[in-house]
Amino acid sequence: MRGLGWWRARRRWRPPVPHWPSIRGRARADTGPLVLAAAVVAAVSLLAGAAPPLLRAAADDAVRDAVRRAGGDADVLARGNWEPDDGPTGGRVRAPRLAEDLDDLRARAVNELDPALRAALRPPVALVTSDILKVTDGSVLRTFQLAYFADDRGPGSGPHVTWIAGGPPRAAVPDAAAPAPYDGPPWPVQVGLSEADAEALRLRPGDRIPVQDARRTVKDVRVSGIFRATDDADPAWRLAPWLLHPVVGADGVGSTRLAGLLSPDSLPDARLAFDDGQFRRTVRFAPEPGALTWESGRAVGAAVVALKAASGSSGALDTSLRWETRIDAVLRDVRVRVDAASAQASVLLIAIVAAGVLILLLAADLLVHRRVPALVAARQRGATLPDVGVELLLESAAVALPAAVAGLVVARAVTPGAAWGWALPIVVAAAVAGPAFGVLAAARATRDWRVPANRTPRRRARHTGQLRRATAEAGVVIAAVAALVALHQRGILPAVAGDPAADQAGGVRLQASAPTLGVLAGALVLLRLLPFGTRLTLRRSLRSRRPLAVFGAARAAATAARVLPPLVMLVATALACFALTLDSTARQGLVDGAWRAVGADARLDVAPAGVPATAALARRVAAAPGVRQAVPAQLTDGVRIAAAATDVAPRLVIVDAAEYRRLLAATPLPDAPQLDRLTATADGDLPALVRSHDGSLRPGMRLELLRTGAPPVHLAAVGTAPAVGGAVDVVLVDAAAATAAGVLPAFNTVWVTGPGAARAAAENGAAARVVLRPDVLRASRAAPLTAGLLRLALVSAVALLALGLLGLALGAAATAPERWQTLARLRTLGLRPRDARWVAAGELLPAVALAAAAGPALGLLLAHLTLGPLALRLLTGQATDPAPVPPWWHLGLLPVALLAAVAVVVPVESRLRRGRRPGEVLRAGEGLPDAVLGRRSLP
Amino acid sequence: MSGGPLLRVRGVHRRFGTGPTAVHALRDVSFDVAAGTMVALVGRSGSGKTTLLNVVGGLDRPDEGTVVIDGTDVTALDEDGLSRLRRAGVAYVFQTFGLIPVLSAAENVGAPLRLTRVPARERERRVALLLELVGLAEHARQRPGELSGGQQQRVAIARALAASPRLLIADEPTGQLDHETGMSVMALLRGVVESEGVTALVSTHDAVMMALADRVIRISDGRIEGPAGERVGAAC
Repeated sequence: MRGLGWWRARRRWRPPVPHWPSIRGRARADTGPLVLAAAVVAAVSLLAGAAPPLLRAAADDAVRDAVRRAGGDADVLARGNWEPDDGPTGGRVRAPRLAEDLDDLRARAVNELDPALRAALRPPVALVTSDILKVTDGSVLRTFQLAYFADDRGPGSGPHVTWIAGGPPRAAVPDAAAPAPYDGPPWPVQVGLSEADAEALRLRPGDRIPVQDARRTVKDVRVSGIFRATDDADPAWRLAPWLLHPVVGADGVGSTRLAGLLSPDSLPDARLAFDDGQFRRTVRFAPEPGALTWESGRAVGAAVVALKAASGSSGALDTSLRWETRIDAVLRDVRVRVDAASAQASVLLIAIVAAGVLILLLAADLLVHRRVPALVAARQRGATLPDVGVELLLESAAVALPAAVAGLVVARAVTPGAAWGWALPIVVAAAVAGPAFGVLAAARATRDWRVPANRTPRRRARHTGQLRRATAEAGVVIAAVAALVALHQRGILPAVAGDPAADQAGGVRLQASAPTLGVLAGALVLLRLLPFGTRLTLRRSLRSRRPLAVFGAARAAATAARVLPPLVMLVATALACFALTLDSTARQGLVDGAWRAVGADARLDVAPAGVPATAALARRVAAAPGVRQAVPAQLTDGVRIAAAATDVAPRLVIVDAAEYRRLLAATPLPDAPQLDRLTATADGDLPALVRSHDGSLRPGMRLELLRTGAPPVHLAAVGTAPAVGGAVDVVLVDAAAATAAGVLPAFNTVWVTGPGAARAAAENGAAARVVLRPDVLRASRAAPLTAGLLRLALVSAVALLALGLLGLALGAAATAPERWQTLARLRTLGLRPRDARWVAAGELLPAVALAAAAGPALGLLLAHLTLGPLALRLLTGQATDPAPVPPWWHLGLLPVALLAAVAVVVPVESRLRRGRRPGEVLRAGEGLPDAVLGRRSLP
Repeated sequence: MSGGPLLRVRGVHRRFGTGPTAVHALRDVSFDVAAGTMVALVGRSGSGKTTLLNVVGGLDRPDEGTVVIDGTDVTALDEDGLSRLRRAGVAYVFQTFGLIPVLSAAENVGAPLRLTRVPARERERRVALLLELVGLAEHARQRPGELSGGQQQRVAIARALAASPRLLIADEPTGQLDHETGMSVMALLRGVVESEGVTALVSTHDAVMMALADRVIRISDGRIEGPAGERVGAAC
């Protein structure tokens, strides 16, 4: 049976034939709506096309910024053992060309680099350093190191110095290849000292530096001369700043490191002065931030991982290179932040695209509503539904594609590129919605069967329609729930940071769509309640004595079943609220992050030379006008703490606990009542508050603070430490208790609070780096990713509000003919023209009121549900995910804008129709009824 | 049955558009309608029937001429004056009924009374009376969508009569109804003219309907055929 029917249908089928005059005629008649649709497509394409390239540019900047901030941590190090220097007759032999060997090592290291990695690195510096020696002059704990630099210009090409006393180090013996017996006396070696180091050691040229190694073996190190750096800021000094001046805390709490500079002539002597494991050579590559981009950062990260994987073992005795660097971790961190920013941007872009698609559906609905008579006429002339569909598709494609291209071209002109992927849904919606609605309307208007006369079939048909709508709504709700669950379970970040595959496959799109889907689902549920609300209002108004209320409520009840116009308003308003809340939360998070980073209104990071005077500095600052508190503290990163079976390297904070607690109480930083526990001793151990990201430091543990050249200090973890700066692992002890336990604090930080903090810090901070909270906040806001996200959030909020208002206008335009026909009929009953406006406003108000009231509420609800997993803390620098911060004033503007729009739309509509007499309206209105238009069936 | 002229139309011209493409919908139309009569206005589609009804009811303004209803020059009234006239003096019945879909039949009928702020009790009494008059007392709580076309038009007639108008203007009131239903609606109109003493001006092109009118005015190409006010039909 199927075969015959199919054969007949196939014989009847013919390819669709567009009727060009009809297409041109309809386009001319509906120029306005078509231009509007084109404008929406162009605007959303511009926004959606411009945002990803801007984000990518911000990601490039973020990579450079992160590498720049990482400083020496991002350097790539190649270590290599020395060639054996054992002589043929026992003992060691002086190697006079050791500096040239070092150049060979540098060249070998360069050759082993992947081209992508090499392109991102500056020319290397070869560095030779000795073990840390202990200065044995009997005073405070001081350490000493020998160091040698050479850049790619060859031996002796380190930073320039001027010898102000004595001269550069010379060979200790006249015989360049002199033998050195294994058990001979300490081999002499000459070094140069900086002015500051020489003064600290009270030594002059020719003096011997009293040093010994960890095995208490005395070294014969002599001062050849005293130098002054030609340029203190030469990047090479960054590698060993103790060559220029003593550095406090470099070798643990309470210690000060100094150093002596070797020359190519004294380098071979230094080699003989130390055992192999005590004298190391390293080739150090500093990254070139300007050469890094988001893409090249990926390649560099991969190359570094490969390099580390192929690196020789640290225990190997051969001369193969061993590679070390933290640049891969730095890049991984920035990739995580870029991923977070990308996902957060995706959340906003999905919102804009969804609102844009809804607007285009509404515009298509309006267009079809205007065109039904023309479509019916076309059908009556013999056009098939495929003919009609193809004609409408050609027209909508001719509108959508050039508009999208125009938007993307503008995006390309104003940004580094244009991403067409995000514009695709908009183009598809613009191209397909009109034809689909048009074909449906034409089919309904010309189909053979009509609405059944009997009640039962009519009820059945109505139920079928309701079932279809409920199914579609259930699909949206299920998708929203799935997206929310995925967001909470998996978070917003891809499983692998910076994974390009995840990016291309839209790995986090489901999670990123959670807010939009949630808003959509919530809006659909709320719109289910709208008809009940309008009917309730109608019932109440029927009991009132105000006729205008009755007519307005009646019109509102008649149009309440239309979903699309209020859906657009509600979704756009809710998403605008969400974007504003995201912006506000991020801004407040940056404020909190700045408090956390600085720890007060201002912070003084005291230079090593000024550390002994830090306490006096704090007293001077505290006495300055407008300063409430000035709290000195010692902050030392990477101290060695033995905890349980592992060693950790947290930040050690030594501070007066009572003063610090008062400081925390005077700032928005979280209070730490457990600071009170630090003054009491715990079984003789030094009480400490601890904090760690992985639980390796927990209250109740017994810890050991390891020190070089001094016995460890026993700590008792008595509570949880507050977050201090950006450190994730913290050990905090009271200064007085630490002193009592033999740990002398070397205060290198002063936290200052009060309105005069910035001024006092600036006036007294000559020997310190002044860090002001407003500056940190400004820098955080200007950071590439943060600034980009904040800008996108604001633009999104404005765009969404504009789309919501456009939805209101389109919805009003779509229902205007029917509304004014009803009003014209009411005027035949005696309704005055000015009263007609109130009735029109009464019709529009319920949906607008719902959007105005429920939109912000829905947006806030979704913000509460989804902002946590969006990982905003990665951009704001907060310790935990921030709670939503609703911008109440801005949110208040959303309902005001919608209600004001009604106050504008109704008079404008009334003015546009003022020229038409009721007679004309009634004539024109006698067209096709709603049942034919299928209005209730359209979404 | 009839007294002096309730409606006096004199020299009415109505033109749509300008220049050579202008359409003269009405040309020098003049006639009188006596109070308490039912007049049928007949003519082919496009002959100017609806335009004439709109002009008579104040829904449209003539380019020339005057329309006087019960001594009031409709063409001289401003919008508020026309609104007052429609609240009490003139009522309309349309081919498409023009009911408010979400209101029940009784609430639709009571709509004009709300505009004139008739007290609720009196309004309910009047509505019940009118629904009884049009034979829909049992359908008072039903909405238009639940009524047949003929019933909806009866509700529209009841609504038109709610404010006790002096002139009832009906534009093709049976246009969307089958013949039998249309006949019953026309009979209803005839009945209310006699029982309520209202004057009715009804446009139609159904010859059988004309038989129910006291008088028939034929209009063709915007002109009244025959001398104005000439009695060309027969009263029932």
